[in-house]
Amino acid sequence: MIDERIIEIFKKAIKDSPAEQTELVCESEEFYLTRFAENQVHQNMGRSDSTIWCRAIFGKKIGVARSNDPTVDGVKNLIKSASEIARNQKEDPDFRSLIMSPGSAESSGYYPRTFGFPPGERGAAIEYIVKKARSGNISCAGTYQTSGLSLAVVNSLGTEKFARNTEYRFTLTATSAEGKSGWSQAAGRDVGDFDYKKVSDRALEKASFEGEPIKLDSGQYTVILEPDAVANFLLFLAFLGFGGKTLYQHRSFMSGKIGEKIMGDNITITEDPFNAQIEYLPFDYEGTAKKKVGLIEKGIAKAGVYDSYYAALAETESTGHGLPPDNAYGPYPKSMVIDGGESEVAEMIESTPAGIYITRFWYLNFLNPMKTMVTGYTRDGTFLIEDGKITKPVADMRIQQSMLEAFSNVATLSKEQRLIPQYGALMLVPFMKINNFNLTAT
Amino acid sequence: MANIEKIAESAVAKAVSLGASYADCRYIEISNESLSYSNGSPQSVNKSTDRGLGIRVLVNGAWGFFGSSVLTEDEAIRASNSAVEIGRASAKINLIPVELAPAEKYIDDYKSKYKKDPFEISLKEKLDYLAGLDGLMSANEQINSRDAHIDFRKINSYFISTAGTKVRQTLIHSGAGIELGVSKSRRERAVRSYPQNGGQYETKGYELLGEIDFAGAIPRLTEESLELLSAPECPSGAMNLLLEGSVVGLVIHEIIGHPLELDRVFGSEANFSGTSFATVEELNKLQYGSSIINVVSDPTDPSGLGSFGYDDEGIKAHRADLIKDGILAGYLSSRETAARISGRSSGAMRADGWGNIPLVRMTNINLAPGDKSFDELVSLAGDGIYMSTVSSWSPSDDRSSFEFGCEMAREIKGGKLGQIYKNPTFSGRSVEFWNSVKAIGDRSSWKVWGTPNCGKGQPGQNARTGQGASPILVSNVKVGA
Repeated sequence: MIDERIIEIFKKAIKDSPAEQTELVCESEEFYLTRFAENQVHQNMGRSDSTIWCRAIFGKKIGVARSNDPTVDGVKNLIKSASEIARNQKEDPDFRSLIMSPGSAESSGYYPRTFGFPPGERGAAIEYIVKKARSGNISCAGTYQTSGLSLAVVNSLGTEKFARNTEYRFTLTATSAEGKSGWSQAAGRDVGDFDYKKVSDRALEKASFEGEPIKLDSGQYTVILEPDAVANFLLFLAFLGFGGKTLYQHRSFMSGKIGEKIMGDNITITEDPFNAQIEYLPFDYEGTAKKKVGLIEKGIAKAGVYDSYYAALAETESTGHGLPPDNAYGPYPKSMVIDGGESEVAEMIESTPAGIYITRFWYLNFLNPMKTMVTGYTRDGTFLIEDGKITKPVADMRIQQSMLEAFSNVATLSKEQRLIPQYGALMLVPFMKINNFNLTAT
Repeated sequence: MANIEKIAESAVAKAVSLGASYADCRYIEISNESLSYSNGSPQSVNKSTDRGLGIRVLVNGAWGFFGSSVLTEDEAIRASNSAVEIGRASAKINLIPVELAPAEKYIDDYKSKYKKDPFEISLKEKLDYLAGLDGLMSANEQINSRDAHIDFRKINSYFISTAGTKVRQTLIHSGAGIELGVSKSRRERAVRSYPQNGGQYETKGYELLGEIDFAGAIPRLTEESLELLSAPECPSGAMNLLLEGSVVGLVIHEIIGHPLELDRVFGSEANFSGTSFATVEELNKLQYGSSIINVVSDPTDPSGLGSFGYDDEGIKAHRADLIKDGILAGYLSSRETAARISGRSSGAMRADGWGNIPLVRMTNINLAPGDKSFDELVSLAGDGIYMSTVSSWSPSDDRSSFEFGCEMAREIKGGKLGQIYKNPTFSGRSVEFWNSVKAIGDRSSWKVWGTPNCGKGQPGQNARTGQGASPILVSNVKVGA
């Protein structure tokens, strides 16, 4: 139900709520995905679903229930269930109130051609790619998805918000007969902007790079990270430290360090839902209008993002980053931008006498969260740089690296930024050249 | 349920009338209840229900699928139309048509075994249980972070296929876990979890909570967490490594279970979860582990989290050999992937709810117990390291190598457990690791460890799996950086 009918259903159902305050949230999605491997489509699917949350409040007792039944009776049952939970809860002394967010919201990022994109069109793009791959003895695996999403929030204090957007995402792993692989991906709101020929060529060229992958010794290297790898780190940093909950609980690497320099001068990270390429939904799961937030400015820790609960605890204002009411993570940034630099990517490579070019990381996991120390692997396109040129493929290596240290050792950032989707986030990030990066032979 | 059966039958009939050579329809209804308690207060009480149906079709030898949460006959017909249209689009690209291994026809109503339905226990009783755990953890005032959670799931489903199978299933899962921690400063913290990181989950009812010995474990965990705060870093080097059973469970999951998913072996996950070093050319040849390594897929285990009556394409649950006397003996498979090696499905096709296509997933992946008591394993280790409770894991995309981190280690010296070490890690090559297993703990220490959050596929799907394991002693493992 990617339309505003749900608002009327909520308004009817909320009238009968026994709770002192009631909040209803609906996220609806019409989702299509074609998945291919071995140059064949092996999954091709569509799905239509709505998730509805009810938060019922009695004093400072809170109950949350979730279902996917968007009928009036279904929503009434959900309110009953949330109310029963609330009555059985202990009081949460830190809870203040639901919020009243006045006015309506403007949808941006909704493109009818993305929403109505037929399976045959996704198929045509994939057919082009796999035909090209077959002719080069390359095996391709990937996904092409298009979706429409809407978010509606109604509460008993008078908040009524509805917005929708669309998204396309494309990923490709190309693998040569010798096992060399290359990766590329793209994302955006308007599928009409997607140049699948250009994007797929990036992965195909990497898989076709001549030579056997060489094994390198463990050590510290100068690396050039593609935006995918930069976004891998950025999302982990966000998880560890940019949310109001981790800051309040002193689990963030920024806890007690706001105003201090924690990264290099050349790093500025902004949560920017209004960026022209990102066009995120204009309000959060509480109905609060989103704000642009400077997270890191010229290496200095500036602020985190908040929902109403953690904003009250931190004596600040919500920045409109609340997640669904049954989440355990707390507020979270989903539309981060790292400022680009002055360099062309080609110049970054040409100015590197010895280094490693890394396409993306795989299976990052924390070794020491407070030190932002992660482990993981390089994957799908790791190359040696010698005398300013990419010369040979390199066998994948393990990384054991503090992300804060890496973002303190950035020598150069590219002008070019790419939009990278990971989980629910869309991030706009540049290439980075980083010195003294720890890589281990496997 | 009767109306749902009629809707599902209409959807399948419609797909056949539109030209599908095979069709199946799954109705799934999942109820979840999760409660948590943190530092003396209820943290969250969440209830959710999710229901819908998904229709999967083979058209011109290619797959199409559509799922919807609107449960009407009209919507089921729309879903069939969309699935067939999507299947036709797939067929235009594919050169090789899908073939399916044979499947028996079953008419059945399967219910997992449980003593107490957790959804019939009051919220008050559940919150009182959590308050009791919190009270046990607060006995030592130096413990300054206490978390406890319990989770319950009920799955009602109906499956119908053009192979003639019609199966109703009801599965009940329960889970519980605690984590206690102590901090020296904001940046120095030690935690211990029980029964494992994230808790233990089984196909059981509320009775599971009474079977986990939290009261017996909490004093030991308290002592260990306090000792960890001032413990030295774990030493590095190649050494004998004794792993606690839950650690072995996750190692089995990551470097036996995943690499033996046959869709992954063929490259279906090359773009996401990765590939596998255990290629079909290695079947019945690869010395995967030492001769004492025997591993089966066993969804018939009475309480493993990966247990069920039928998989999501109607294959009856059965045991299947994966590694026999150390040799790679089989794969986790579906009807489609099994046909590619001229075999029969191992019954491992599972979907995350109604809105996803089934994928080859783990069931219960069980390492057969050995004959050593825990004390005998410590004695056999001589000098080495014992590690307990996984805290971090990172396998390579083809699962040929790995690194795991644990909450705690102990020195083993002269065949006896010694001092505690913090931040232990171990890493290595998968085949070398399993070939270095010298001894396995006996039946008394064997348990099917539940993993409620195994990720795979695009869009991402979550699976609930089990891993049967007891402690193992492995020689010459790389410990530390």
